[in-house]
Amino acid sequence: MNPHVDFHAFAPEIVLTVTIVAVLIADLFTDDSKLPARIAALGVLGSLVPVLTLAVDGQTRSLFGGAFVVDPFSLVLTGFFLVAGYVTLLLSFDYIGEGDYYQGEFYVLLLTSLLGMIVISSARDLISIFVALETITIPTFVLAGWRKHDTKSNEASLKYFLIGVLSSAVMLYGMSLVFGLANSTVLVDIHKYASGHTPALFAVAVFLTLVGFAFKVSAVPFHFWAPDTYEGAPTPVTAFLSVASKAGGFVALLTIVRLGFFPSGNSWQPILWVLAAASMTLGNLAALRQTNIVRMLAYSSIAQGGFILVPLAVAGDVRGNAAWQAVVIYILIYGAMNLGAFAAVIAAARRTRSAEISRLAGFGRTNPAIAVMFSVFLFSLAGIPPLAGWFAKFVMFRAVFDANTTVAVVLGVIAAVNSVIAFFYYSGVVRRLWFDEPAAGVELSSPRLPVGLSAAMGLMTAVILVVGVYPQFFARLGEIAFQRG
Amino acid sequence: MWEQQVAFWVLAVAMAAAAIGVVRSRNIVHAALFLVVVLAGAAAQYILLAAEFVAWVQVLIYIGAVVVLFLFGIMLTRAPMHDDAGALDNDQRWGGLVVALFVLGVLIALLVNAFGGKKIHFSNALVSLGRTSHVGTDIFRVFVVPFEVVSMLLLAALVGAVVLARKD
Repeated sequence: MNPHVDFHAFAPEIVLTVTIVAVLIADLFTDDSKLPARIAALGVLGSLVPVLTLAVDGQTRSLFGGAFVVDPFSLVLTGFFLVAGYVTLLLSFDYIGEGDYYQGEFYVLLLTSLLGMIVISSARDLISIFVALETITIPTFVLAGWRKHDTKSNEASLKYFLIGVLSSAVMLYGMSLVFGLANSTVLVDIHKYASGHTPALFAVAVFLTLVGFAFKVSAVPFHFWAPDTYEGAPTPVTAFLSVASKAGGFVALLTIVRLGFFPSGNSWQPILWVLAAASMTLGNLAALRQTNIVRMLAYSSIAQGGFILVPLAVAGDVRGNAAWQAVVIYILIYGAMNLGAFAAVIAAARRTRSAEISRLAGFGRTNPAIAVMFSVFLFSLAGIPPLAGWFAKFVMFRAVFDANTTVAVVLGVIAAVNSVIAFFYYSGVVRRLWFDEPAAGVELSSPRLPVGLSAAMGLMTAVILVVGVYPQFFARLGEIAFQRG
Repeated sequence: MWEQQVAFWVLAVAMAAAAIGVVRSRNIVHAALFLVVVLAGAAAQYILLAAEFVAWVQVLIYIGAVVVLFLFGIMLTRAPMHDDAGALDNDQRWGGLVVALFVLGVLIALLVNAFGGKKIHFSNALVSLGRTSHVGTDIFRVFVVPFEVVSMLLLAALVGAVVLARKD
């Protein structure tokens, strides 16, 4: 007896896997350094085709006893990851090419990490989630250390590796306890188990599992690896880590809480509440004091992670899907804003040869086009209308008010205070860009920016403006994600 | 059933003693060899639980690969192999001991609370559950997606390791 395998459901994964192998072979047999990059980009776009055909088909496909499910939720996030992966490729082309790094291998690792992400959107059992999460992280350990002769890059890689392995061990121990209690790794069965009376051990198992995720999404107090790793890694890798890989952690967290632990609210809600409040506050306060733009964005992404955790932490008291929708919408918008911000950092660093904020003084006068887009990304991160960031904050606060309990409102107040703090440091950079005297040594007429980088920035700016003015687009995606197919 | 009880306790005491040896040993090679005893004990415990496949995987991967990798690592990094009092000690060991004992206490209490009084009933069904054929069928029927993903992960890890290790 062979199990029935629905190959259409796996088509995005299959296309991406074939692409990885093709990149590896192309890199082996040709001297053309551009060919692996082209195949990688084409393969990522090619993987979007089956996502679209599956979406048109609209049928929920549940395989292997509910361990692997293709539904609107997984399709929306698979699409997001593939687009984010494509934009990362656009950022990497010239950065990796000019540094004379191992190009083909770089794309193989990047695409493998991306494969883990699209698997995690469909994974519905603990083993698949764990394997997919490791597939996301392990290639990025190496990518963070890609500049082998730079000690900062080595430090970035080693710190990320040690913390990543430790967090995996903690998470796996928690998952093994969950399995021991619930007698199943499939989330649906864990949901059934959590609905009944659970011993105290279950709360500890949930705690350990969530602590593992907290490391992955760099939530305070498990964040200390992030600024060093972000600073030392090649900037396109940092963009990938802060957006795609972080979103992968959040998607797994959302899935595991929503479909698994949900009925046992006392076990996960307090943990997520503390993580959300601490991440927002500490992330923002630390970001205020940074002089390096990449470190500032690292702390800002920790704080943004806190904002994403807010709807999750109050989800138990929200009726319907509003809280889950808020998380998905926030992830989509955060992805566009942060990828854009890092693209702008790469573009600016090509002119200033530095990541210090002070070197950006007067950048708006010398390079107005980059500075305008940079300002758009920063203001959007701060949540100022009519840029997309306001809508992300709006759905987050709406989830808090839907919950309408004391703890939820307290968390909402903390989030509101933090939004104000965040505005200070984002606008501080924008002020530097436009109102300070240009620093000496900034090249005025540098060579043209690479096409990929300009395209990435333009695309992200367009997304942020369109979604900011017409938020129904992403709101609809959020609704579709939780429709029953 | 008492034979199993005796075997369990003999193994458990040996494992605990060897585990203390791992952290107490002043020689890093001795620590690695103590670890072999701990891991072999775990494999023997799996056999007592009728999980033969997991037991042999434990032997192959942990003793066969991981510990050998440790020894290679010690050799290649030219770590000091002679007894060097203090070099392997950490200033925070008393703090570490307190945390370790606390975690141990909490986990024992909770595990006894959750599983205490439950018994494993040995039957032919349980033995066949641990058979290699059963595990193999499960891997290729139920867990085929994680299996395939792991193979891509291993490929990527191989490529990454070559890039990092290569001189250029």
